[in-house]
Amino acid sequence: MTEVSELGAPRMVELTNRPDTRLSWLSDLGRHFDVLMVLARKDFHTRYKRASLGLAWAVVVPVFQGLIMAAVFARVVRSAGGHGYAAYVMSGMFAFAYFSQTLGAGVTSIVDGASLTDKLWFPRILLVTVPALANSVGLAITFAFLLAALPLLGGVYGIHLLLLVPSLLLLVSFTTALALVLSALHVYFRDVKFLVQAALMVWLYLTPVIYPISLLHRFAPFVIANPMTGIVALVHLATLGTSRGAILVPLLVSLGSTAVLAVVGAEAQRRHDRLFVDLL
Amino acid sequence: MLLKSLLPGRTATKRDLWALRDVSFAVEPGETAAIIGRNGAGKTTLLRLIAGVSRPSEGRVRVHGRIAPLISVGVGFHHEMSGRENVLVNGMLLGLSRRQVAQRFDEIVAFAELDDLIDTPVKFYSSGQYVRLGFAVAVHSDPEILLVDEVLAVGDMGFQLKCFDRMRELQGSGTTILLVSHSLHAVRLLCPRVLLLSKGRLVTDAPAETAIGRYHELLSAEPTHLGGAHDPVTALSRSVEGPDGPTHHPKRGDELRYRVELQFNQAVDSPSLSFQVTSDTGIVCYAMNTKPGQTWRRFEPGDTVELEVAFNARLGGGTYRLSVVVADRNAGKLLAMNVGEVPIYIAPRPGSLGWADLEATITAFGLELSEYDDLTLKAVPGSRVGG
Repeated sequence: MTEVSELGAPRMVELTNRPDTRLSWLSDLGRHFDVLMVLARKDFHTRYKRASLGLAWAVVVPVFQGLIMAAVFARVVRSAGGHGYAAYVMSGMFAFAYFSQTLGAGVTSIVDGASLTDKLWFPRILLVTVPALANSVGLAITFAFLLAALPLLGGVYGIHLLLLVPSLLLLVSFTTALALVLSALHVYFRDVKFLVQAALMVWLYLTPVIYPISLLHRFAPFVIANPMTGIVALVHLATLGTSRGAILVPLLVSLGSTAVLAVVGAEAQRRHDRLFVDLL
Repeated sequence: MLLKSLLPGRTATKRDLWALRDVSFAVEPGETAAIIGRNGAGKTTLLRLIAGVSRPSEGRVRVHGRIAPLISVGVGFHHEMSGRENVLVNGMLLGLSRRQVAQRFDEIVAFAELDDLIDTPVKFYSSGQYVRLGFAVAVHSDPEILLVDEVLAVGDMGFQLKCFDRMRELQGSGTTILLVSHSLHAVRLLCPRVLLLSKGRLVTDAPAETAIGRYHELLSAEPTHLGGAHDPVTALSRSVEGPDGPTHHPKRGDELRYRVELQFNQAVDSPSLSFQVTSDTGIVCYAMNTKPGQTWRRFEPGDTVELEVAFNARLGGGTYRLSVVVADRNAGKLLAMNVGEVPIYIAPRPGSLGWADLEATITAFGLELSEYDDLTLKAVPGSRVGG
């Protein structure tokens, strides 16, 4: 339904009560890629600009969380310790910190973006991908820190570290896909934000971030059905070179749920795109 | 160029609120049209549909060309970002490339007069500064279609003049403009064509004077001005008659008859009745008391009185309200204001401004007539602030 001029801007747009076709929606999305980059950069800058320690917070907060968790659980769960435990906790914590931060911002992104979307058209899905993209800079910084401090944390350098690339990509994809679904739901049911906040608390403990998966025998079905398990297990494998527990099934769960959520989320965004604004 | 048709179809359920119904029109390239109507008539909804922000529940909106956004208070800005960043994002959303925005950046900031504030987050901007920046970005992005929602009411007078000039320029260069405004002066000067919306329906699509006149008829048809039984005095009927019968848009200098029938809902010993003409900004332009010094009889609840006021409409261009003020002369108390209110619209004498029509003639020695026309256009938009 959309003709494209030489400038790349749509020449003719026809709106009815039907959503844009997949093709025109996707090409519209492609045209707005530059805007996404600018918005993501601004999002990243505004987050740390006003703080005097600036970017350092991107690392300090998850490190601090990780240290507390490690200290507490090393005492409670004796068997959790061992060689490379610090690297184990830190890498898992960094991954989970990205997940919870991005999901928190992503869920409310369409509602929060009302001032930007009220008068101006662009695919609203952009707003959801902005925190995912902006926070991935923080994610990269924390893992750069992890790599630098790896010997201190009991890890060793090796070829297995290359696995970090696909594992972090999977993390970003899963988080974005989930945010696509939840942000669309949040426009209609404003309870979603609070449910997500509550769920994230439980989620952390159902993910083998602090203790190995083998410790969670009673909750094992939940842990394996949890898509974050596979992602975190892959991050652990990438960081330490060995996995503590089964990895194949959780990883398949992660990949499968990412694919399903991405399709469902993108469809939800496309179908409700020009309807959101009337509910904000 | 631009075609809209919202056709009637299935009946609405009780909970549905139709912001727009049966609205069909087309605007040709390079045309300027205004959309007027009361608050809640669907003007902004219509612009939002054309901007593509929202999609119609029924019918079709077809737009050819690059659209600049709806410019109004709070236009597409991110509150946490600075003016500079917002100009970049906004410009890019309007279809400019990063480089094009950078090239035009100084021009945009200069137009918005925000040099000092450009690196401040826009959440610290005043509503006027907000609109200035939004308007500046929009008009510098070479829009083919410009949608303007009440800009002329927000900025200060200097900026209003600038917006006005800029819209004239864009008109000249072939930009299609759709303007929503309560400033009927601006509408009249910028838009040869006016669409009148009422309760979501397109009532009139006509030349400016006709549509504005029709708008005033609609305003006076609203029963809300009559007052209720709990008011001390209510109007049972009211009308304005000109030389050619009932009218809501008389000509300057017409002999008018304003008739109103009042009913007293409480006993008043000696009421005083005044005829009053107020501007749409609430300024009393003229008031006349019924026979000063005359003693009135006592009115009991249910008693009625008929007034006829004959006067000459020596008024400047604009919207006025004719009404009656009732006071209790003995108690020295004001009983009711604006009873039997009737709005009228008077087309201004070209080049004139203000509430009175003094029929001045100006002889400017050594000035060409065409220059006079330009002066007129520049003088008018600043005359009405607010909507």
